[in-house]
Amino acid sequence: MSIIQIKLKQIPTNSFHMKYFLFRNSLSVVNVSYNKILFQVLTICFIFFGSNSFAQGQLVTGRVTSESDNTPLGGVNVLVPGTSIGTMTDFDGKYTLKVPSANSVLEYSFVGFVTKSIELNGRSEINVALVTNEESLDEIIVVGFGTQKKTDMVGSVTSISPSKLRVPSSNLTSSLAGRVSGVIGFQRSGEPGADNANFFIRGVTSFGYNNNPLILIDGVELTTTDLARLNVDDIESFSILKDATSTAVYGARGANGVILVKTKMGSVGKAKISVRLENSISTATKNIELADPVTYMKMANEAVRTRDPLGEILYSDSKIANTGLPGSDPLLYPANDWREIMFKDYTMNQRANLNVSGGGGVARYFVSGSFTNDTGIMKKNGTNNLNNNISLKSYTLRANVDVDVTKSTNLVIRLSGNFDDYTGPITGGSDMYNLIMHSNPVLFPAFFPKTEKYKYINHIMYGNYDRGNGAAYINPYAEMTKGYKDYSRSLMLAQFELTQDLSFLAKGLSFRTMVNTKRNAYFDISRFYNPYYYQLKGYDPVSETYIRELINEESATNYLGYNEGEKDINSSFYLESMLNYNHTFNEKHKISGLLVYIMQQRLAGNAGDLQLSLPFRNLGISGRATYSYDDRYFAEFAFGYNGSERFAKNERFGFFPSLGLAWSVSNEKFFEPIKSVVTNLRLRATYGLIGNDAIGAPEDRFFYLSNVNLNDGGRGAGFGRGDGASYSLNGVSISRYSNPKITWEKATKKNLGIELGLYKDLNITVDFYTEDRTNILMDRSAIPLTMGLAATTRANVGEASGKGVDLSIDYKRSFSNGKWLTAVGNFTYATNEFKVFEEPTYDEAYRSRIGNPINQVYGYIAERLFVDDEEAENSPRQNFGEYGGGDIKYTDINRDGQITPADQVPLGHPTVPEITYGFGFSAGNKSFDFSLFFQGLANESFWIDVNGVDANGNPINTSPFQGETQVLKAYADSYWSEDNQDINALWPRLSPTINQNNAQTSTRFMRNGAFLRLKQVEIGYTASENFLKKIHASTLRVYLNASNLLTFSKFKLWDVEQGGQGLGYPVQRVFNLGLNLTFN
Amino acid sequence: MKKNILKVVFALPLFFFMNSCTDYLDVVPDNVATIDNAFAMRAQAEKFLFTCYSYMPHDADINLNPAILGGDELWSPDDTWAVGDQRARRFLNIAEGFQNIVNPYGGFYWNDLYRGIRDCNIFLENIEKVPDVEETEKRQWISEVKFLKAYYHFYLVRMYGPIPLIKENLPIDADVNEVQVFREPVDSCFSYITELIDEALEGLPVENNDAAMLGKITQPIALSLKAKVLVTAASPLFNGNSDQSALVNPDGTPLFNTEFSVEKWKVAADACRAAIDACHGVGMKLYTYTPVFQDLTDTITNELSIRNSVTEKWNSEIIWANTQSNVDRIQALAQISLDPENLDNTAVRGNLSPPLRIAEMFYTEHGVPIKEDNTWDYNNRYSLETADENISLYLKEGYTSAYLNFDREPRFYASLGFDGGVWYGQGKFDDNEQLYHVEAKNGQWQGKTGQLYGSVTGYWAKKLVNFENVLSPNSLYSVDYYPWPLMRLSGLYLLYAEALNEAEGPGPEVYEYVNLVRERAGLQSVQSSWSTYSNNPTKYTIQDGMREIIHQERSIELVFEGQRFWDIRRWKEATEKLNGSIKGWDLTQKNATNYYIPSIIESQTFGVKDYFWPIQEDEITRNRNLVQNLGW
Repeated sequence: MSIIQIKLKQIPTNSFHMKYFLFRNSLSVVNVSYNKILFQVLTICFIFFGSNSFAQGQLVTGRVTSESDNTPLGGVNVLVPGTSIGTMTDFDGKYTLKVPSANSVLEYSFVGFVTKSIELNGRSEINVALVTNEESLDEIIVVGFGTQKKTDMVGSVTSISPSKLRVPSSNLTSSLAGRVSGVIGFQRSGEPGADNANFFIRGVTSFGYNNNPLILIDGVELTTTDLARLNVDDIESFSILKDATSTAVYGARGANGVILVKTKMGSVGKAKISVRLENSISTATKNIELADPVTYMKMANEAVRTRDPLGEILYSDSKIANTGLPGSDPLLYPANDWREIMFKDYTMNQRANLNVSGGGGVARYFVSGSFTNDTGIMKKNGTNNLNNNISLKSYTLRANVDVDVTKSTNLVIRLSGNFDDYTGPITGGSDMYNLIMHSNPVLFPAFFPKTEKYKYINHIMYGNYDRGNGAAYINPYAEMTKGYKDYSRSLMLAQFELTQDLSFLAKGLSFRTMVNTKRNAYFDISRFYNPYYYQLKGYDPVSETYIRELINEESATNYLGYNEGEKDINSSFYLESMLNYNHTFNEKHKISGLLVYIMQQRLAGNAGDLQLSLPFRNLGISGRATYSYDDRYFAEFAFGYNGSERFAKNERFGFFPSLGLAWSVSNEKFFEPIKSVVTNLRLRATYGLIGNDAIGAPEDRFFYLSNVNLNDGGRGAGFGRGDGASYSLNGVSISRYSNPKITWEKATKKNLGIELGLYKDLNITVDFYTEDRTNILMDRSAIPLTMGLAATTRANVGEASGKGVDLSIDYKRSFSNGKWLTAVGNFTYATNEFKVFEEPTYDEAYRSRIGNPINQVYGYIAERLFVDDEEAENSPRQNFGEYGGGDIKYTDINRDGQITPADQVPLGHPTVPEITYGFGFSAGNKSFDFSLFFQGLANESFWIDVNGVDANGNPINTSPFQGETQVLKAYADSYWSEDNQDINALWPRLSPTINQNNAQTSTRFMRNGAFLRLKQVEIGYTASENFLKKIHASTLRVYLNASNLLTFSKFKLWDVEQGGQGLGYPVQRVFNLGLNLTFN
Repeated sequence: MKKNILKVVFALPLFFFMNSCTDYLDVVPDNVATIDNAFAMRAQAEKFLFTCYSYMPHDADINLNPAILGGDELWSPDDTWAVGDQRARRFLNIAEGFQNIVNPYGGFYWNDLYRGIRDCNIFLENIEKVPDVEETEKRQWISEVKFLKAYYHFYLVRMYGPIPLIKENLPIDADVNEVQVFREPVDSCFSYITELIDEALEGLPVENNDAAMLGKITQPIALSLKAKVLVTAASPLFNGNSDQSALVNPDGTPLFNTEFSVEKWKVAADACRAAIDACHGVGMKLYTYTPVFQDLTDTITNELSIRNSVTEKWNSEIIWANTQSNVDRIQALAQISLDPENLDNTAVRGNLSPPLRIAEMFYTEHGVPIKEDNTWDYNNRYSLETADENISLYLKEGYTSAYLNFDREPRFYASLGFDGGVWYGQGKFDDNEQLYHVEAKNGQWQGKTGQLYGSVTGYWAKKLVNFENVLSPNSLYSVDYYPWPLMRLSGLYLLYAEALNEAEGPGPEVYEYVNLVRERAGLQSVQSSWSTYSNNPTKYTIQDGMREIIHQERSIELVFEGQRFWDIRRWKEATEKLNGSIKGWDLTQKNATNYYIPSIIESQTFGVKDYFWPIQEDEITRNRNLVQNLGW
């Protein structure tokens, strides 16, 4: 029941205290500086009006402070246990209380601190220092539609302190891998705005459309990008729900796990202002090395000649001899290092966050504003004022306010907005990296300098080379500097929550309703020149220069063109209403119940298709009931009953129940003797069913309806003589056949957890799980083409299973001299396999996917390169096109004398790693702290791309020469040539185009994706109290951290984490200086 | 009290929203298009009829019609038209013997045509539901669709031999075992196809009276397809082909007959006769050109009679032309830049290159093969000769070319462009004036300039180019489109002669129909040509000799029309014809002496397995009941 419930508990039920509380806090909101005086006046008032509360007894006064930094603590409950006598401390931590007797006991409690009981023993002044309790902060775990005490948990939930998610990056998702047990994650790109990490909760267990977890921020479903933009300073809690019992309440949406994030709320007290400033330097972890231009040309010529002895070679001997020669004309013999020309070595990024929180009796608030500025590493051209470097400015504003409307009614308003303003290269940063790799380095210079002769020209004289009829090569520098793209993305959320205590009906009963609306808008605009391309033509003996010839006069422009890009507008509505019940009977029987009704809708403004334009809706009722006895035995039942608009009427609703049991062994009497050693031992087991309705691409909605285009030009026909006597009509095409039986994907999950605490300081949590996915939607691939189907038919026939272990270990120790040490380790292993997969009946057993992992790649076993043409001719025939000596030789697995798909076998590990782990430690004393964190992953394979093209057909692979692809230095150093017939060379025989024989998926280009990296190092300094006093601050910490400093991997061509996408924007190494300052 | 009211108010939303629960998920409004809408009314049903037509293979596209570049009639550089994507390689791969089972070149027809057949069946299942279509029109539509269903099956039989016949559609959710269909014996395939055509006949019109409907199926079209189907069924590839005796279904059913049946030729001859009668009945006759703008010499008039019989749309001998495949790109691929003032026209490529053997296939001016002509010096065919004034409409006067290009029949000059050859039309229409001619040696106007432009053999397929197309500056090429002819009367005559010769041996009727075709080509009759000029003067009097004559006549008359590819297969002559070298002149040479030396461009291989397409391996893994063709 979320954080509000906790808040309610803090509000004293005694009516006197309530009034006092409300007054005090309402004033604090108004004006902080008059607090003290007003407080005193009010206290007098209360003494006067509330005289009935002051019975005979003793007056106790005192001050409550925080032990760690001696700051006064306001809002601390001071109670006499077993009575209704109590009070709260003021802003200075002071309190006054009349107690019944001089021997009373006082209990001081405050969220985040260890509760302390002190016997008066006749004293009238008691000053107390409360010890912060990090354990207790962790103790309340945010779960679906509520919170639970950690010691009561039955389901498998990982909760992580938000501070551990802080990384020197503006992207939260890059911090999950290795830090949160149960998450498999990796980051493929370092491009600002496009650097979201991929992450999966307990790996991937479905081969359906969607494997991503459900992300809920303050209860509302949001996207990975929204999560990525979340500022860590705004996060109150971060939980990952993994098993059936914890996700059951999300019914049809929770099968891939749930990420729950709550943002901070204000707490009673003086305005607390927190400022964080960071500046970082970002640079690629590794740059790809390319062959030098001379080698490039020699190899390009060889590529032509080795395939066709009569082929026309591209580069003359004199060009090769002169290129790069000292004294030769660089315009005539260009040798471009495109990366050097286009990119800087590093860039600076800034992040700032300011938040203010506080509040009083009537209302509490948390407001924050953040700003991040991430820039790319592109250079500008000084000739015009276009800024084509990536600059992503992201602003976040958040206001969370909660108001006590009546004694029993609480209202929360959350408003937040996230706004991205981006400017950058027209086709994006990754594409620029890619262009460098796929542009000719020697045909033309990036641009010709302005000489006296051409000073009248007001455009950049880009270099190029006429392919005939004005067709030009790609000049990556021109592509980068010819213009820029702006995009703007806005996300606005408004949320209204109302909680009503219904104790007047039944004790412990409350009702809450929440309504949220979300508006999302995105658009982009490009502005660009059509570059002027020049090439050198003929030598002018008079001026002793080469004449520059414009080659694209017809298409070039010296004025800006404009292109409106994608627009994406959508809105969502979400409503949840919930009844909550919590009660303890006879001290030992704790029960709780929860019933939630949810409905949500999403509408897209530019769906592009009638069926897609219809609203996306979900509807459901969920519930949870828990019972525990004596803090020893726990039981929990949860269910979701959900409906989705995507299915036919009788398949629309699904019921997803789950049951869990837990036993706190260490709370048993018989455990007492060893409790000093084994401080905690808990066993948990859950079993249940969860659904997934995101089972097919969005354009595949409404499986029960066929999708027919009744006016398809592609299926039309025409007749007639022409010249006016003709008759043609469009035709009919089917893009989906109806199947009313299609319904949810289901997951049956089992979880067994063990929590073990040793010597108080060491905590180990291990969860073992298995999962069986059934009803996975899949193509009916065994239907022969003779059926003549125009679209693939599908059915819920697939099944898969997964299993794995999540392990987390943490150790915390404080030493008497103020020193402390924490260490943490996380290990996630998640594996999966196909159980039922509709596939043809293969003659070869190894072709079947059953029993193999979902992300298993199939391909050929490459033995080596053919020694010569003769060997190639006498080996089993390879059916992929031309091949001979120096090309890859594949193994004929089924020995049928030729290489066909029937020879493809499962290769290597899956493409999604099965193991993600992380470990590290932090240590410090009052002033200094130091931490190290390592992260790694294992059991992953990836393939060096030798064949890929992007959506526009441009190459994104490493195969030299085709599409002007450059030569990786590694390839230049080791390739098969007629002079050096190295059958184990890294690159096979050269070819001017992609040799399809060598471009097959095979073991030859398979690489091990495992790595271990020093993910983060941080040194911090916390200012001393004396200094803080001088600047009237309560804390000041300065820190220096760095990410991705070291990587251990066998793969050397590029950063291994990028996997097969090595030619894209590299993963970044960041050095970051930060400052965090709070005022209280 | 007030408090309680407040509480009720707060609780209200819950019940309010609960109430609308059942309807909330009904987001789909009425009338979202489904397949039922396609047959709700006439206008929509007609679109479905056109959908059935839309599967007609695009015969004029070199990337879609295997019969253009997959045999030996035409060759091309690797990168034809679409730079870089090497799609032309698709069918050159077949020509070179590189067909494969993983992703067979042209294998997409297995997919596309079965889809077409499914749509035909959907149409036939549903057409009766349409309320507002009149009975005669409905009958006609049904007949058209049945014809198309027959044609699509026939196209597949030509490629694959025995195939599964999809007489009726299986339901979408049919059981996996049910969809695993078997191939049916070729005889069943042919009889099913002819059955469908017979059923179609009654509802079809005799003629398309409306010019806007040309290309829709008529009775003459159906009858001539039936004739072609039956001739194919009677041909050696399908009639008693013992090479294929090992091809049997998993249950042991043989898929080929191994007993030759002469009766099949008789049935085929009758069908040809019926088709010819139907064509004559609507006034079709062999086309001859009548000059309209100006007086032309007989030579040029005759040349245009030959060229226009293909390139003039809907001329008097077109029985069936494919309006789904207009001939535009292929004309640009056949055309070369002719105007010396405007040679860098990039709209035309001149890539389609007839190999030397095709140039040698044409008759001499006496209408007999160059090997047989007792006046023509076969052995010195590559020696040089200079053109004189008498042949200046064929060869540029004073130009030196190979003897091979001299003293040939009119169809040689009408069909081929070559070094020194005159190219009538394309902007120059007065044959008293200087006409365009080709100079194709290295360094000359039309000498090969790089990979993208020009022939690879030194010959061009002039026949495919309409003479009125004009090349103009700025890379413009205005094209007179014509629908790709699938069946011309001259082709039907030759089918009839062939069938009759096979059924009964040579006779007056056999000669008559061959001679009709020769006459239009400006040649004397078979009897007189052979008697007078052949060194085998009685060849035409015996069945084997006459067969040879008809086969060659057919290959010449229908050259570049995508017929030879299938003809030499059904004649089982491919292993003999497609195992040599593809040759052309030595294009790298600048002078005639060196240029006119035949040079090898590529070697072809053709084995028995190549007579039929391989079924894609994946399809066989999906359906183990499909047996793969022999040798694959």
